[in-house]
Amino acid sequence: MQHGNSSNSNRNNNIINDTNNGNTTNCDTVPQPCMVREQDQYMPIANVIRIMRRILPAHAKISDDAKETIQECVSEYISFITGEANERCQREQRKTITAEDVLWAMGKLGFDDYVEPLTVFLSRYRENENERTSLRGEPILKRGIDYGQMMMAPYGPAFHMGHHQGMFDAAATAMGGYFRDASGAAGSSSPASLTKNFDPFGQFK
Amino acid sequence: MRQARTYSGILSGGISGRTGPHLLPLARIKKIMKKSGDDVKMISGEAPIVFSKACELFIEELTQRSWMVTMRGKRRTLNKEDVTSAVIATDIFDFLLNLVSDTGNSVEAAPLEMDISKSS
Repeated sequence: MQHGNSSNSNRNNNIINDTNNGNTTNCDTVPQPCMVREQDQYMPIANVIRIMRRILPAHAKISDDAKETIQECVSEYISFITGEANERCQREQRKTITAEDVLWAMGKLGFDDYVEPLTVFLSRYRENENERTSLRGEPILKRGIDYGQMMMAPYGPAFHMGHHQGMFDAAATAMGGYFRDASGAAGSSSPASLTKNFDPFGQFK
Repeated sequence: MRQARTYSGILSGGISGRTGPHLLPLARIKKIMKKSGDDVKMISGEAPIVFSKACELFIEELTQRSWMVTMRGKRRTLNKEDVTSAVIATDIFDFLLNLVSDTGNSVEAAPLEMDISKSS
């Protein structure tokens, strides 16, 4: 079992024949899984480790192969969910995979415990975006991303969120105060309370 | 452009000394999403954002389950076999079975009953 010293593995080193930012492989002629490990198909290992450390007690150690395995599992997770979400889009003849599609796929594939916290996360993100936009006095426009599909089949009652003109659908009552009333005043969250309760975007402030 | 700022802000927040939640790099997530199938066309801007949080939850759950195996073995180093055991013991991680058994490690652990306050 590989331990400790990461110089034993070449997973984090540049590919020997690399001439193109780590995107070249040795496997051009063979349509088989490559033995070369390209880092850009994984989440950065430092980020993975940091998240693991939130769970583990301070004295815990993590072997290098465990870190790498979990790193690979994350990418597999993304592919797995995306595949299901993409199939749904194709069945419904839509071209764009939306956040709602991703949440739906997670529920379908057994990760329904994640759906509610992710829904809260997403609604707060949207509200944060709206506040940042309106503070600058800009109209809330489509950003060149295809948001046209976001009104499709909302996932569950808590996710009835439209994004047209930046007005949240008032039917999002399951979310409590996460929508604007007609006067444009924010819901129950102010930037300060966002920071206090849940601040995934600290670096934005 | 707003989208660029969202992405670049996340990317630059990667490895700093700050504790607290950091999003995983959105551009990387998007790349992995695109690679999941030849027919993946367009991805909304918010989908990688949902994934960044979902991957945190996923890593946390996998780590927690793996660590329970480590503790059961009275060890302090979480190793790959602990991750393998956790994957075997968890139904929703079935999609990872090929991945964790790929390197030829013998999969010795019997499925364990793992109860971490949620039904799986």
